[in-house]
Amino acid sequence: MARYLLKRLLSAVVTIWVTTIAVVLLIHLVPGDPVKIMFAQSQSTTPEQLETVRHNLGLDRPIYEQYAIYMSRVLHGDFGHTIRGDQPILPLLLGRLPYTLALALSSLLVATVIGLGLGFLAAYKRGTALDSLCMVLAIGGVSVPVFWLGQILILVFAVRLSWFQVAGSDWRSLILPALTLGVTNAAVVARLTRSTMIDIFNQDYIRTAWAKGLPARTVLSRHALRAGLVPIVTILGLQFTYTMGGAVIVENVFSWNGIGRLAVQAIFQRDYPLIQGFILTFACLVALVSLAMDVLYAVLDPRIVHV
Amino acid sequence: MSESFPVEELPAALAPLPPAAALRPGPVRRIGSFLLRNPGGVIGATIVLCLVLSAVLAPIIAPYDPLHMGAGRRLTPPSPAHPFGTDEFGRDLLSRVIYGSRLTLQIGLIAVSISLGTGLLVGLVGGYSGGWVERILMRGTDVLFSFTDTLIALAAVAVLGPSLTNAMIAVGIAAIPYYARVTYGVVLVEKSKPYFDAAVAAGAGHLRIIFVHLLPNVIPPLIVVASLGVSAAVLAAAGLSFLGLGAQPPSPEWGAMLASGRDYFTRASWIMTFPGLAIALSVLGFNLLGDALREALDPRQRRR
Amino acid sequence: MTGATRSSARPVLAVERLRTEFSTKAGLAVAVDDVSFELREAETLAIVGESGSGKSVTALSILGLLPPVTARVAGGTVRFGGRDLLSLDRSQLQDVRGAQIAMIFQDPMTSLNPVLTIGRQLTEAVVRHEHLDPRAATARAVEMLARVQIPEPAWQIGRYPHQLSGGMRQRVMIAMALSCRPKVLIADEPTTALDVTVQAQILDLMSTLQEEFGTAIILITHDMGVVAEMSDRVIVMYAGRKVEEGDTVTLFDNPCHPYTRGLLKARPRITATFGPGRSRLQEIPGVVPPLTRLPPGCRFAPRCALRVEHCREQPSLDEKAPGQRAECWESHRMQAESTA
Repeated sequence: MARYLLKRLLSAVVTIWVTTIAVVLLIHLVPGDPVKIMFAQSQSTTPEQLETVRHNLGLDRPIYEQYAIYMSRVLHGDFGHTIRGDQPILPLLLGRLPYTLALALSSLLVATVIGLGLGFLAAYKRGTALDSLCMVLAIGGVSVPVFWLGQILILVFAVRLSWFQVAGSDWRSLILPALTLGVTNAAVVARLTRSTMIDIFNQDYIRTAWAKGLPARTVLSRHALRAGLVPIVTILGLQFTYTMGGAVIVENVFSWNGIGRLAVQAIFQRDYPLIQGFILTFACLVALVSLAMDVLYAVLDPRIVHV
Repeated sequence: MSESFPVEELPAALAPLPPAAALRPGPVRRIGSFLLRNPGGVIGATIVLCLVLSAVLAPIIAPYDPLHMGAGRRLTPPSPAHPFGTDEFGRDLLSRVIYGSRLTLQIGLIAVSISLGTGLLVGLVGGYSGGWVERILMRGTDVLFSFTDTLIALAAVAVLGPSLTNAMIAVGIAAIPYYARVTYGVVLVEKSKPYFDAAVAAGAGHLRIIFVHLLPNVIPPLIVVASLGVSAAVLAAAGLSFLGLGAQPPSPEWGAMLASGRDYFTRASWIMTFPGLAIALSVLGFNLLGDALREALDPRQRRR
Repeated sequence: MTGATRSSARPVLAVERLRTEFSTKAGLAVAVDDVSFELREAETLAIVGESGSGKSVTALSILGLLPPVTARVAGGTVRFGGRDLLSLDRSQLQDVRGAQIAMIFQDPMTSLNPVLTIGRQLTEAVVRHEHLDPRAATARAVEMLARVQIPEPAWQIGRYPHQLSGGMRQRVMIAMALSCRPKVLIADEPTTALDVTVQAQILDLMSTLQEEFGTAIILITHDMGVVAEMSDRVIVMYAGRKVEEGDTVTLFDNPCHPYTRGLLKARPRITATFGPGRSRLQEIPGVVPPLTRLPPGCRFAPRCALRVEHCREQPSLDEKAPGQRAECWESHRMQAESTA
């Protein structure tokens, strides 16, 4: 068990390390002069100012020195400053992060409840009309573009019916975005859960459980669900990363102030230091969640622990 | 042996068995007959066909030039003259949606080609080579995979700048890990089978092994991933365009149309409805098709 | 191992004209066609046949364990305890399963839940059926493990299936099945997935426990050797029909159906292959017909060396010798040939 966790930890560290390399290299992949592009939209910068910026970002040094500088700064918590407004990046990101997490977690909750429920039901009633209905709903949910669904929900519920608000920062404004993201996510979860549970329901040990005369609720919960926990947790873990990605779009549709909205603005403004900070933060977050998932597997699957 | 049964009635059980290959129709026939029995697959294939036709025949079937401002009055609701209405510049929405199908197909094909081509190469080379080449390639794929498609796409657009082409490239790069992993998985499975060692022992060259043995087994799962990948690429690119990071106005790309329709959607909701429906239908079509293909080609799922 | 003394025992389970159908892509497949048999108290009845003969489906049909949408029992009755099992509702059936009629399956690795402990899986049935409290249930579980000769049973309770060997797992399955002292045990190919040496041990164990508990056993197998060793009576199935039944000893001595004879002859025997006058392994030519396209009349006819025009008509189950019945028009010819 300890070896397993150590391996996973190493994996996470490597991923983050590679991210830092990629982040530093990113600026150099820009076709043309990155500093000029960063300031392309403001007319009044002088060449001297550009040179100062170039020097501050370390772009006039060789690559490995740049990397060393960047890494030492990052490890001290200094992610640099935004080009526009000269704000310190890390506090800015950390300030917005809770909003994104709130959105991601609440939509994940919606997705889990609806998706697991639908998927489980469809698998148990496989081949019946109920199964087909669930799957039609699911494939519809997967095909609908998130931004379109969000816009329609705004139109119907916020504008026409005035049930919900948008563009605020409190939990009431979170409902619609969480539902939007959650519903599309639920469709994916439902499909994956259904195929996982169908596989499990076909397993011999489920038949053994029935043969013992156990009631349906016991077979479903103690045997099927428990055996399905590991693949289901995998599905949910993947959904977290998927949700983080979807959050970027949803935040823009609903003007929700998370890091996703920040990232898009940064890309528009070519604010490369901010973009770098965003990528690093995002990747770290995803790596941490993956690690947490791996720990959860070890707890749930006795075959990993009791070798 | 009793001769009481007339010879011509020799039952099938004792007649010589036909060669195994003739008993199972080839993959094309199997796909064809399965699709016919699978309503989802038929619907999906129909939708995709309509999409292709719309794209190919756009100049003929679109009533107006999609970029022609003032083809009708601004912001008119759907009417016989303009079945989808007009947008804020007076452009006919139906024509724009029809021409948008060309861009949608382009996005799907180009993005998937990038992902498939690169992913296939990485998976084949990694799986086949073994050793440190394999480890580096597959670790790299895992790291790329952990970045999530969104992040990679955003990073690529950040570097290259917002444009439809860059969005296609970004989305294509972001999906490489899926194709690489699937290919790698198949290669590993095939390598573990006895026939593989036999082929190597018989002196088969690398190219022969790759093309004759590995490739035919890799193709069916990749077809499934690709058709589902087209729908994912279309959604992703539309999303980027919606954010303003992909197709730029006045391009009739559906995601960009949704973006520009945002400001007017309370007064003129049709500007957002029709492009959005178009995206949803196209994606649905590819998803249905992909699901049907998966059932047709997956040996485990096929119920005898 | 003779069944002659048991012929007067009362039937504990009576299957009458059972018919089970599967709907497949190729059409309707009748996996069990008009099969009837009786199981008497404390006896071992073997159901033998090739894969696809319908023997497992028969067992699953008795307990209502068929896959829900594709399979259904289309006719017949299964009398047990004065009731027809096929007419019971869900919860009544659940009361019977595990407590009155228990079943063990072929592959003990996949038949045990990998994420639950052995102890949990052992106590489930007693808790459900006898409403024992956890401590009593655990005590019973430990006792059962000891009976199936698993060493250190109190410690094994906390282990998981993957930590045990194949033979031990099958013993656990047997312990699980017998923990509620059922009247009937259905064993579906219990030794097929095990090593030969372990097979003998398991069969031995089953015999011992049968004597201790007085359980009647339906033993499903394709191995004639197992039939010879374990059973009092035999049913031979082919393509969904029962083609012969009788007392084991007499059936082995004097089969009345060509298929049975073929099965008996197909066993590899030391004398035949190593002694003087070595002969080839005798096989039955041809293949089992697909259940969706059965020939009219006797199903075995296409492969049968004795077939005649009359075989186009489904033979009736006739008594060929005392206590022995077979579905064949030509039994007398076959027996004449073999004695000649």
